[in-house]
Amino acid sequence: MAQLELFLQTLISGFLLGGLYALIALGMALIMGVMRVINLAHGDFMMIAMYIAYWLFTFFGLDPYLSVFVAAPALFLFGLAIQKYLLTPVMKVESILPHNQVILTVGLAMIFSNLATVLFTGNYRSTPVSYASSSWYLTDYWQNSPIELSLSMPWTFSFVIAVMITIALWMFLTKTDTGKSIRATAQDFDAALLMGVNVNWVRMVTFGIGLVLVAAAGCLFIPIYYLYPALGKQFTNVGFVITVIGGMGSTEGAIIGGLILGIFESMTATYIGMGWAPVGRFSIFVVALIFIPGGVASLLRRKRLGK
Amino acid sequence: MRRFLAVGLCLLMAWFFAPGVFAQDVLKLGIPLPLTGTNAKFGEIEKKSYEIAMEEINAKGGIKGKKVVLEFEDSQGKPEISRSIVEKLIDVKKQPVIFGEYSSSSSKAVAAVAEERKIPYMVVTGATDDITQQKYKYVFRMNPTNAYYAVGFISFLKEVVKPKSIAILYESSDFGTSGAEDMVNQAKKIGMQVLVKEQYEKGAVDFKPILSKVKAAKPDVIYMVSYVMDAALLMRQIKELRIDASLYAGGAAGFAIPEFIQNAKEASELVMTATLWSPQVAYPGAKEYAEKYKKLYKDYPSYHGAEAYSALYIVKDLLERAKTWKPDDIRAAFKTTNMVTAFGPVKFEDKDGYTNQNFMDTLVMQVIKGKHETIWPAKYASAKYVYPIPKWRDRK
Repeated sequence: MAQLELFLQTLISGFLLGGLYALIALGMALIMGVMRVINLAHGDFMMIAMYIAYWLFTFFGLDPYLSVFVAAPALFLFGLAIQKYLLTPVMKVESILPHNQVILTVGLAMIFSNLATVLFTGNYRSTPVSYASSSWYLTDYWQNSPIELSLSMPWTFSFVIAVMITIALWMFLTKTDTGKSIRATAQDFDAALLMGVNVNWVRMVTFGIGLVLVAAAGCLFIPIYYLYPALGKQFTNVGFVITVIGGMGSTEGAIIGGLILGIFESMTATYIGMGWAPVGRFSIFVVALIFIPGGVASLLRRKRLGK
Repeated sequence: MRRFLAVGLCLLMAWFFAPGVFAQDVLKLGIPLPLTGTNAKFGEIEKKSYEIAMEEINAKGGIKGKKVVLEFEDSQGKPEISRSIVEKLIDVKKQPVIFGEYSSSSSKAVAAVAEERKIPYMVVTGATDDITQQKYKYVFRMNPTNAYYAVGFISFLKEVVKPKSIAILYESSDFGTSGAEDMVNQAKKIGMQVLVKEQYEKGAVDFKPILSKVKAAKPDVIYMVSYVMDAALLMRQIKELRIDASLYAGGAAGFAIPEFIQNAKEASELVMTATLWSPQVAYPGAKEYAEKYKKLYKDYPSYHGAEAYSALYIVKDLLERAKTWKPDDIRAAFKTTNMVTAFGPVKFEDKDGYTNQNFMDTLVMQVIKGKHETIWPAKYASAKYVYPIPKWRDRK
């Protein structure tokens, strides 16, 4: 029984964590799909959103979940500006290195995290909301339960909101014209251009939406985690690994990849040791690159074609 | 012409650098500290404390009539950067004594350089045991080592809790690993069985998997060696999972600073921690320093701050007693140091396999009503300990 309890509790943790990871990776995958750019400043954009949420909480007592409505639009505009004034001009420059924009994102990441250190100091910060460590317990609802499972309140909120945002994104991509042009551009850049899609505009919007997603992820993370200027790197890594597992640039892949990584990390922590989590994370990355180079997305596609 | 220019440039450089450390009546001391990166928080506490000490010393006439000017160099918490900073201090700035750094890994890197260059180095906060176990002649340490962090805590366990089993969680750094190893040894000595011993990567988001494992093992004591945010997350998630142990304890660092309580909120209540120092402890100058720090920065300093503050006083004492300011004379002065600082008594001794190590009493604190109180040893206690600890289910 104890073993079953351990397994189920680990599975719950992994699933919740995976859902949040997926949201981070979604934005990255979207940007990668449309722009063929690995946004290595992704985690740092998340850090910016978390600072927005933090200051809103500290000064106005605004619940971090509600600050999504401030942080997301703010980062959307920020994304448009960065795409228009930084990434697009760099894309036009001829250079020996093929991926100037990727290097640019690394530069941005450094600027953001160092700027945050200067402006906000290196202090760790968190939003101690009243429900931070509240949970639901199985034995509270079913007294004779042989096992005890708990479901953390803020983790569950974050997960549910992440799912809602994912659904909204999916609706946007499949039902609206803009969404369709984004998908078209991701599938075949030249064809989309020939079909009269305003590719530059699509790129701008995509970058903006990518940042909206990561801003939301930041606001969902801060009640359960904490914040410091150098936090970005860790989440950029997570996002990158998931995008590779999921298949570069595939949004469905990112969702599945996120869940895989979350559950995999939790299982490693329970059954092998938590110190192994980073090793596990990168071995799954290497394995995915070697055996399923197209990621989960390629498996999905193969199945569809098989029908 | 070009040659002349080169010579001229060299002369200019020589003129520029020549005044060096002992110029005029200013004594410049370079201190490596992590001012950015993940350890920046602690670097900052230390920087502020060094500055308080510097101002006090300068107000009273400086060191041997020289005004002290501290120059902080950011090591970003990376040992290789600390190393190059200290190489520069020794080779270029000819600083005769080195002190500072925060983490064990960085202190270790600095110690190696200092020993190689035969310049005395005083470790201020790095707590890994082996820094002073390598028979280094030029490395001194004012803070107790990890093995001694828990001495006070162990005596509390032996006399009050009498536990049979323990689970140890620690971060995978030098500090975490050596803290955990020492706890394992101590546990054996007092007959506690180690049920779980798990390391984690600092900055992890979700501890519930290993905590579930701890829960299944049902230990009497849960002992954690962590930095501040991990500490807060661990306690929050222990509360979430309702893991009922007789005692939750931390090995100093993250558990011993006010941020732990601010971030873990009610999950921090009744958590104990080994610590080296607390603002209410009865050493001369401790309270004054703590109040001054609080007035300036709104919070009480952690023991790291007290260590840094006292470090500068130790250096002052050294430089005043040393025959000349040559490294070997300063080293001789280190050997005869015997003073009581705001951080506690300081005396560098060779014993139990350590060289040039300061040994002192360690304390136990408990979070009582949202405040850290010193509870052990009884003679330094500021409040009576709360034990046994109620189950999570029965807490409000």
